[in-house]
Amino acid sequence: MEMTTDLAVVSRARSGDPEAFRMLVESHSKATFRVAYRMTGNEHDADDVVQETFLRAYKQLQHFEERANFGTWLHRIAVNCSLDLLRARSRADKHYGGDFESAELAGASGARSEAQQDRLMISAELQTQVATAMERLSANERTAFILRHFEGMPVEEISKTLGIQINAAKHTIFRAVRKLRESLEPFVRSTPCNT
Amino acid sequence: MQHLTEEQLVAHYYHDGDAVTAEAHLATCEECRAQLATLRGVLALIDQLPIPEKDAAYGEEVWTRLRWKLGSERRRSRVWGTISAIAAALALAFIGGMLWHARTQQTSPVVIARSTPSPAAAAAQTASSSSAVSRDRLLLVVVSDHLDSSERMLLELSNADAKHPLDVTSESRRAGELVASNRIYRQTAARRGETRIASLLSDLEPVLLELSHAGSTLSPDEIASLQRRIDSKGLLFKVRVVSAQVSGQEAVTKAPSKGMDSL
Repeated sequence: MEMTTDLAVVSRARSGDPEAFRMLVESHSKATFRVAYRMTGNEHDADDVVQETFLRAYKQLQHFEERANFGTWLHRIAVNCSLDLLRARSRADKHYGGDFESAELAGASGARSEAQQDRLMISAELQTQVATAMERLSANERTAFILRHFEGMPVEEISKTLGIQINAAKHTIFRAVRKLRESLEPFVRSTPCNT
Repeated sequence: MQHLTEEQLVAHYYHDGDAVTAEAHLATCEECRAQLATLRGVLALIDQLPIPEKDAAYGEEVWTRLRWKLGSERRRSRVWGTISAIAAALALAFIGGMLWHARTQQTSPVVIARSTPSPAAAAAQTASSSSAVSRDRLLLVVVSDHLDSSERMLLELSNADAKHPLDVTSESRRAGELVASNRIYRQTAARRGETRIASLLSDLEPVLLELSHAGSTLSPDEIASLQRRIDSKGLLFKVRVVSAQVSGQEAVTKAPSKGMDSL
């Protein structure tokens, strides 16, 4: 949906038209899912995040500034929802001594196997390594990296999203990339097509 | 020659650094070019990690699940006023009942005290402790009943089959009543320093609230979400433990009360 059309529909949704909100949900669900999946690395969690994102969007619709892009605004909410989930899980991991982490790894591999059926662009082994490398990132590192790498968000915006200083945001992105590099460098050397 | 640091290479990759300096160095340094190539390779691997492809009906599926929740949201705002009014009325009734109960308990021992040779101060003290015991007992009785009802509801939810939608018309109505009383008992318990009870009621409230807004049917996702919430807080177990402890306390507080009645 184009930005101008979005604005007209958002305007109708704000005035309480459920049909307009349905149109926004249907046109932005897949893109929101992609952000959520990259953030959580798990299909089931990503579906939950999509639901929560639209619920929050519905509640905050009055605060949406019409100059902004609705899709970008929605992505920001999806990132925050995912971040909440990752942080809560991180706390639960500490509390329950990693049981949650094991469950999540199992869940993530389940999601990966579905993804593999869709498109096998890299080998299953490599996919597992990449997913595992991503899972090793902390909630902040993962968020900062995804926002910079996939969403192309400027560092200043990332620092606002994470509630940290700009330099800290830069360093968080750097830490994330370094961890990914440490885990995945051997696979780059053995995969000539990627160099 | 001073090589680019890893941080500078990352900044250069994302166009965040000093591009002119970095480009100038890279033009003359094979080692840094190799480093940058490796970095590109690593990030290219991540780009290739597939995302499960959602079909064209996904938006519609999301909307179907969401529509129900949004209905709850709208109902919530409408129902909230009604619930607040009921809660306020219940609070008034509860406090009024406690005061009336305390006053009736206070009068009889004082009257008896006048006719007995024991000192007035001792009688007043007895009356005061008697009213405190009565209030405690009253709280324990109502909380005990409340926890029993809540436990039954949590049990039904925990045992529900999360693969199929569940008709919760009556449970939702019951949960609405429990939410209102839960709030009053929680506040009363907190005021009276019963932190264990207050904390449990505080954990219980969101689950009851969610169920009270559920309308007539819970979808499999919503059942699973509620079950996760109940499990993650060990809510059913806590309710059983506190319920057993409350029943025990209730039995203990009955003893002095009976003694007072026999005077």
